[in-house]
Amino acid sequence: MEGFIAELKDKIIETLGLTDVRPEDIPVDGQLIGSELGLDSIDVLELVMMIEKDYGVKIENREVGVKVFASLRALAAYIDANRREKDR
Amino acid sequence: MNGVRAFVCGTGIVSAAGEGVEATWGALRRGTSRLTPLALFPAAHTPPLPVGEVRDVPEVDGLPRTHALAWMAVRQVLAATTLTPDALVLGSTTGGMPTTERLLEAGERRPEAYRHHAVGSVAAWLARRLSCRGPVITVSTACSSGTAALKIALELIRCGQARVVLAGGADALCRMTYYGFHALQLIDPAGARPLDRDRRGLSVAEGAAFVLLVAAESPPVGALAELAGAGWSCDAYHPAAPRPDGTGALAAMRAALADAGMTPAALDYINLHGTGTPDNDLAEARAVRALCGDPPPVSSVKGLFGHTLGASGAIEAVVSALGIHRGFIPGNCGCRIPDPALGLLPELAGQSRPVRSVLSNSFGFGGNNASLVLTAPLSAGPARPPRPLARFSVLGTACLTGAGPLEETLARYWRGEPFSGRPDLAAVRTEIPAGQIRRLKRLSRMVLLLALAARQAARPPAAPGGIFFGTAWGSLTETHDFLKKLFDSGERFTSPTDFVGSVHNAPASQAAIFLEATGANVTVSGGDHSFEQALYTAGLVLRAGDPPALVIGAEEDHDVLSPCFDAAATADGGGAFLLDPRGGGTGPDLVPVHFAFNPGGDDGLPALIESLGGAARIAERFGAVFVGLPAGDRSGGEAQLERFRRETAFSSPVVDTRRFTGEFAGASAVAAVLAVETVRRGALPPALAGGEDPRLGGRGILLLGLGEFITAIEVSAP
Repeated sequence: MEGFIAELKDKIIETLGLTDVRPEDIPVDGQLIGSELGLDSIDVLELVMMIEKDYGVKIENREVGVKVFASLRALAAYIDANRREKDR
Repeated sequence: MNGVRAFVCGTGIVSAAGEGVEATWGALRRGTSRLTPLALFPAAHTPPLPVGEVRDVPEVDGLPRTHALAWMAVRQVLAATTLTPDALVLGSTTGGMPTTERLLEAGERRPEAYRHHAVGSVAAWLARRLSCRGPVITVSTACSSGTAALKIALELIRCGQARVVLAGGADALCRMTYYGFHALQLIDPAGARPLDRDRRGLSVAEGAAFVLLVAAESPPVGALAELAGAGWSCDAYHPAAPRPDGTGALAAMRAALADAGMTPAALDYINLHGTGTPDNDLAEARAVRALCGDPPPVSSVKGLFGHTLGASGAIEAVVSALGIHRGFIPGNCGCRIPDPALGLLPELAGQSRPVRSVLSNSFGFGGNNASLVLTAPLSAGPARPPRPLARFSVLGTACLTGAGPLEETLARYWRGEPFSGRPDLAAVRTEIPAGQIRRLKRLSRMVLLLALAARQAARPPAAPGGIFFGTAWGSLTETHDFLKKLFDSGERFTSPTDFVGSVHNAPASQAAIFLEATGANVTVSGGDHSFEQALYTAGLVLRAGDPPALVIGAEEDHDVLSPCFDAAATADGGGAFLLDPRGGGTGPDLVPVHFAFNPGGDDGLPALIESLGGAARIAERFGAVFVGLPAGDRSGGEAQLERFRRETAFSSPVVDTRRFTGEFAGASAVAAVLAVETVRRGALPPALAGGEDPRLGGRGILLLGLGEFITAIEVSAP
């Protein structure tokens, strides 16, 4: 899982153009949206697109989104679980 | 004339409810949704979502669908009147996009295929068809465009610039908006249910509506309503989401009521923006509750027509005028159980009752809010004397050119050297952290840098209230990147960020966020005269005592799209001014004098010369003419310039500004900045005086724009 979290950090930086952010600046267990990173609702939707495109996992509505984007660890776990479910 | 009021004396409308007022009226009376699954183009990978689609749009001269829809509405207005419009104002966001996106996907690269791409091309085509030689303005403030168009039309009448104005909005369904709103998860799969407890979003739709607005002291025979006032504001909060507490929306409603000289208690009905998105309806309900302790009947018609984007404000103005004329309040189609969290109960079913006054709201991306007040056409009303266009004193200037910012540009200019090219934005110093501007691509970044620099240049510092921005082509990088990702993925993926950034008003509304500019935020578009249009619009709406405003013209040169849309472009950049509408300050004044569409030839020249006070006054006031001759119609412009010289016998230097700014639609904004700096210095760079005396002799500079429009801006010496 730690390897996947590191991968996601790189994807987030690339997808959102966070040129002045290093991977270690992104909190793993802390709040992802509305934190010092300055991410907002549009960034969430941009990540939703990236996750569907790169991992085949859909995050379709706000209620699910709020839970899934609570932290990077929660996001990684959600993608991982749903990706595996599909692979089965 | 003692006073002037603006009356709605004709309407035309087309939407998913059909073509014409009677079809619309029937749909409003029945109150059942006209939303149907998308059929216009195949929806990829998902079941087609409910949309408001117009059936049987006729083919009009091979024009894009937006143009055809606009014509369907305009021809209704023309068929019912003997009046000829002397001005035209259109709100639109898509312009030629329905055709452009198909052409780009097919790899078409020939510029002639894209000649109706520009959002301003709809109004230009209509004006040509109507032989209109007056002001022609296209306002593109996302979903408030249609309402903003009526606001500008009202001010044209109040300033005595026009007597009969055709004003409205038009937008067509296309993949850009369909997939864009989908990517933002703002579409309700069950069809829009405004104000409903279970609402999940809007339904994208298309349509067009126009009103014929006539200047008169008392209601002309057949007047349906009076446009008593209109107001606008900017949230300056977020590129897409509304300010949650509704204070931005509230400011627009209050401004409209104040403009009409009315109190909230006098309202019989509020036509809500009511898109059906959770955030919009909540913020709007808060705003309405803050405006009226005990609100009048309210409803949204977007569950019936869908959200027709730039057309919606005009469609709802027609619906409101009908409501006044026929005594009817439309029901809030689509709402079954009103959301208790809103604290606002809409009229669930339509009802017949007298309606004397309506407030109609429209709010768009970028927090661009606009509201208007329509009233019954009573014989007694607050007629006010016509007022002149505002005269601006220049508080600060900024530009970006191939040479860089203002200082570097001026260094080359004084040496008489050209500075055409693309500014290196990365080299421009700014105090804003990179993280905060990471989403701003080229045009939005240029506009922000220009806005900050113009504000910084003011002595003493002054904060802008409003921002007026002119752009011919809008944010090309975002538009390109959005469509490329869409097509490359077989319509599976898009970028919500690029969609939000692609709207023409994105640059000005993003700048408003950084500058906390909560006044009017107006983006207009009209080819190579977009900057002139922005300054003219600012002159129409601002008055002495208003806070300073930014007026900006800028354009980006894009490797793929610019050769298609504007093949002549060799450069990009722009210019910006911080202006005080009081005028008469210690610096030069910038005065919009003339702005008229020119459907061909040089017949518009006598009107221009007359606006400037005649040949003798021109020689007396101006030590030089700076002329913009866009490459698109250079020979036409040269013929017009020749006639200007002949009829005025102007003998001081005439400077062809595009020779040193380079060729691009925002060049006139740069030329205006240089004209101001030249007047400050009192002399032209000797190399540009063509062997004549470069000194201005205490006089100002006349900025002429020729070609498809004929425009004049006076830079007067202090």
